[in-house]
Amino acid sequence: MPDYVFLMLLVTVTYLGFALLALSQDRHWHHLGGAYHCPKRVLVLLRSVGYALLVAALVLAVGHEGAGFGSLLWATMLSIGAVAVVCTLTWRARWLRPLARLFHHI
Amino acid sequence: MEPTFRASMNWLHTWTGVVLGGLLFAIFWMGTLSVFDREIDRWMAPATRLVVPDDSLPAEKFRPAIEAAAAAGATMWTIVFPEERQPVYRENYRSKDGFVLRFLDPVTGAALPDPGTLAGTRFIFPFHYSLNLRVWDIGYWLVGIAGMAMLVLCVSGVVIHRKIFTEFFTFRAEKKPRRLILDLHNVTGVLGLPFHFMISLSGLIIFFSIYFPSVWQLPFDGKRELFNRETWGNYSRPKADQAAPLASLDDMVAEARRLWAGEEPFYMRVTNPGDAAAVVQIGRSYRDVVTMRVETLFFDAPSGTLLSRFETAPVVTAQRFISGLHFIQFQHWTLRWIYFALGLVGCVLIATGYLFWLESRRRKHTQLGLRGVSIVDGLTIGSVTGIIAATLSFFVANRLLPADATVLGAGRASLEMWVFYLVWLATFAHAWMRPHRAWIEQCWAIAALAVAAVVLNGITTGDHLGRSLLDSRLQAVGGMDLLLLIGAAVAALTALKLEYRKPDPVRARQHA
Repeated sequence: MPDYVFLMLLVTVTYLGFALLALSQDRHWHHLGGAYHCPKRVLVLLRSVGYALLVAALVLAVGHEGAGFGSLLWATMLSIGAVAVVCTLTWRARWLRPLARLFHHI
Repeated sequence: MEPTFRASMNWLHTWTGVVLGGLLFAIFWMGTLSVFDREIDRWMAPATRLVVPDDSLPAEKFRPAIEAAAAAGATMWTIVFPEERQPVYRENYRSKDGFVLRFLDPVTGAALPDPGTLAGTRFIFPFHYSLNLRVWDIGYWLVGIAGMAMLVLCVSGVVIHRKIFTEFFTFRAEKKPRRLILDLHNVTGVLGLPFHFMISLSGLIIFFSIYFPSVWQLPFDGKRELFNRETWGNYSRPKADQAAPLASLDDMVAEARRLWAGEEPFYMRVTNPGDAAAVVQIGRSYRDVVTMRVETLFFDAPSGTLLSRFETAPVVTAQRFISGLHFIQFQHWTLRWIYFALGLVGCVLIATGYLFWLESRRRKHTQLGLRGVSIVDGLTIGSVTGIIAATLSFFVANRLLPADATVLGAGRASLEMWVFYLVWLATFAHAWMRPHRAWIEQCWAIAALAVAAVVLNGITTGDHLGRSLLDSRLQAVGGMDLLLLIGAAVAALTALKLEYRKPDPVRARQHA
């Protein structure tokens, strides 16, 4: 796959992973239109998918860039992805509402 | 001693931060810029804004240069081959009259005029690891202490953070300054932790032979020569004191390419040129791997036969991998930008640490009439906005000074450095003299200097943004101009925000 497609995919997967992990926290779950507490079932689902996406990002990075560059790219991209989620939650939280809505009625 | 472990860690975190924060910010700032040191080189030395041709020059082209160096009494002559980020040959040797460093055109091999600047690779980068204080290695030790302190701050910071997981993604930008600053400090600290820990630890490991000398002194019985030879493969043999011509350099380079499966050499060095016992050393490039591998071939200069082939032992290879993580000498633009961004995150982390210390004490210190807050206020301003303004003045001076400028015997390159240090000093004085206006005025100064640098680059070299963004040869220059403009915008917005913020009664009383 071309480099830019790989990069966009890596950023998206990492970002979504952290977004789901954030959503599983009561503060952000409530902020994004959920109840005061995130229900246990949903919490488990959000966290497992969230972590799975972060692992998928590692597989993707190592697969495309090799063990050396791949693991380094993944480890540093984690910070970038998490900071991007924080910025979204702070200034553009409504962008994450559609994602939250997917999990409201599970 | 504090009553609980967390309280004592809090004490440690606070005071390590206040005492060493200024030094840490300087190191992080210069380190962040060093990510693009060779791009800064091209911005500051316009004669090197060139493109590497597809076919490299034959190595034989440098035979006259080697002979000239030998005639000038050089015992070692080195040339570093050009690559995308440094599109010129870099030749150096030590003659009877001192150290000679020249940049050569990648197409013709002709010497370029002296750039008259230390630019990124020779001022900003060494500042990052040695503060350019070479006497008794003071600079290295200060940076080492700061690096160790950064590790202490990372660990103690995690210990004292009360809600590391529940506030993992929390930044409440609408809260009062103190809360907002602590949120920002926590978020940048926690999310940047892997990078900050890795970069500080690897920084210390790079200089293990300075910081942990017993590591090599014990096994090698204190013999530096022996340690260097075993670890880095420094092959040497005594001079024969008999003249002998050099065999074909092109054949040696071709042999190196063959042994390295077609990969390019990175540099070529001739020891004792002209002598019958001269040695030609060729090092392998590491631009396609994370590890800064040391793979070197040594040829007998008069015959061109291979004398020795060196590759590092496993433990040294591990050290070179960790060094590679820190130096990022590899060709990978995505990682380069990520390192730059995370370096800036580190700068924000350190600056907000200071600001939180100030905001939590301002009220109390003002009531009790203590001087602590005013002193640290000035220290923070000079360390944060001060060094940024000084760096920008360094760029502006680079575009303004004429090529033959000298003041009190100092040449152009030293004058640029003096501008940096004098402006930096002045920002501290300014911060202590005008405490209530200093942040705003220095932010305006940063904005003005950054715009001036871009305009001056356009006027003095003709490579303005309209041209540099369209020409792939000038990518580095256009990129730097753009970052300068973005920086100017951020500084101007910050200044405006500070100017029109709601008045704070405590602050007003403090400066009354």
